[in-house]
Amino acid sequence: MRLLAVETATALVGAAVMGDDGAVAERSHLGGRAHAELLAPAIEEACASAGCALGDIDALAADVGPGLFTGLRVGVATAKALGQALGLDVLGVSSLDVLAAGAREEAGAARSARVLAVVDARRGEVFAAAYDFSTPGSGDDPDPADVCDDRAEALTPEELAAWSDDLAAAGPVLVVGDGAVRYRELLAPRPGLDLGLADRVAAPSPAVLARLAARRLAAGVAPAAPADVVPDYRRHADAAINWEERVPVRTAPSTAP
Amino acid sequence: MCAAPAPGHRAAIHRVLGIETSCDETAAAVVDGGTTIVSSVVSSQIDLHARYGGVVPELAGRAHVELLTPVLADALEQAGSDHTGRGIDGIAVTHGPGLIGSLLVGVAEAKALSMAWGVPLVGVNHLESHLFASLLEQPDLGWPLVVLLVSGGHTLLIEVTAPGEYRLMGGTIDDAAGEAFDKVARFLGLGYPGGPAIDALAPQGDPTAFSFPRSMPGDGYDFSFSGLKTSVVNRVRKEPGAQTADVAASFQEAVVDVLVTRARRAAADVGARALCLAGGVAANSLLRTRVSQACADDGIGAFLPSRALCTDNAAMVAAAGHWRLTRGDRSHLDLGADANLRLVSTV
Ligand SMILES: [Zn+2]
Repeated sequence: MRLLAVETATALVGAAVMGDDGAVAERSHLGGRAHAELLAPAIEEACASAGCALGDIDALAADVGPGLFTGLRVGVATAKALGQALGLDVLGVSSLDVLAAGAREEAGAARSARVLAVVDARRGEVFAAAYDFSTPGSGDDPDPADVCDDRAEALTPEELAAWSDDLAAAGPVLVVGDGAVRYRELLAPRPGLDLGLADRVAAPSPAVLARLAARRLAAGVAPAAPADVVPDYRRHADAAINWEERVPVRTAPSTAP
Repeated sequence: MCAAPAPGHRAAIHRVLGIETSCDETAAAVVDGGTTIVSSVVSSQIDLHARYGGVVPELAGRAHVELLTPVLADALEQAGSDHTGRGIDGIAVTHGPGLIGSLLVGVAEAKALSMAWGVPLVGVNHLESHLFASLLEQPDLGWPLVVLLVSGGHTLLIEVTAPGEYRLMGGTIDDAAGEAFDKVARFLGLGYPGGPAIDALAPQGDPTAFSFPRSMPGDGYDFSFSGLKTSVVNRVRKEPGAQTADVAASFQEAVVDVLVTRARRAAADVGARALCLAGGVAANSLLRTRVSQACADDGIGAFLPSRALCTDNAAMVAAAGHWRLTRGDRSHLDLGADANLRLVSTV
């Protein structure tokens, strides 16, 4: 299997290609908001580095968020179009799962028995999920069974802090993600929270995404048809229209001719 | 960039796939030889935005992501192609101006297809593509032309001396013409989009019932519609019994009067052989009638694209892209989107 993974959920933009031998070639940039400009070249370069052409790819994975809306749209639109053009389905993977898997890779099993993954949602909020790998039979991967709590909407830093206190009451928690970095001052002093790897595991990594996706596909998780892959926004669309001045609506319309 | 297809990879550019996502239409089309529309699929998001009275950028971006796969599949299938891009020699995509979150979806899709199919890519200016809409139906338009480009986002007078040679003559200093239609329709409770609503109601009203101001700022070719909109609001507040159809007809009369007066003078001043309409407001019945009359009186050609080609579509993008690809223009894989992309001459 040759798998291409597309990562755009946070400020890190990149792609990774896993070859038949399991080796992963990655190209990534800390792109800020230039996701569109950086992603396609990263895909080409990752393919070239892995010694294959796009036509040789036979599996696709994309980080579907939560994360930056524009970044997600660029990544998901790219993955959908690649899937459509190459006749491949796309495995969508949560950014929070990729962060948790990255924490497992970096920290080892003992230190990462319990992980809180936090993505900076901007506008003073975060997206977060907590994982527990300590239960018997739990593998290394952040599978649905390991997600002990995945908050479906954005949280304020204060809500995150209260939640992390609850988690830490049951044992040490490794906190990763750019949301942990942003709110380090709030989280780091709290008992039981380990932010020691927050900078190294600040963004979901394309290579980690590729490895996690490959394991899931091998385990029988089914990818989706390109048409069915959508970003996980976790926030309603901001329905503001930037009229310079709102025009009032006539109170008593007279529509009779 | 390693992605640029090798020169001569596919020697001639015949069929071009166009992709358009600059505002609230998700569109894909295949055009052959720059002038023959082989397929053209437009999925409008009007229903999605109607309750807000205008296009909501974040909603538009989300809808484009959901619509791009089926719209592309339809456009390819109707063109006798398939997901492998069989028979497609190039890809053209709108990369500005427009809503940034919407533009990026189409640009990402186009780059992915270019990589996967190994065909050349070119980014197209949305305004330029509107100018090419006319060439799709009348390839032998004479030069120079004056184009009146009127839509929800733009009100421009452009002199075209040849394809790719543009001179911006004037534009709106406040609201776009289509925006004025939307705002007045919203005020009158006629719904969204405002252009078609007012166009439909106006024939039932008296266009001379109210004398709304015809603002023509400066000595050049600029427009202003903000004062007209305010005047409509104030007038109706003073006369609550005013018939909506009379207000709509009088408002439309004023907008069209201003547009035609300025466009006609622009055409005369540059010695244009024809006056050409483009953009969504170019579908307005009264504007089409008045432009035809004015051009007949002045002895110049009038070109009014069909309504389907006035509003945003991808066939016009493919047509502009065909012209650009044929002259050797190529975009690389680092192509981005520019919400404020300007129309510049290539010569
Ligand atoms: Zn347009």
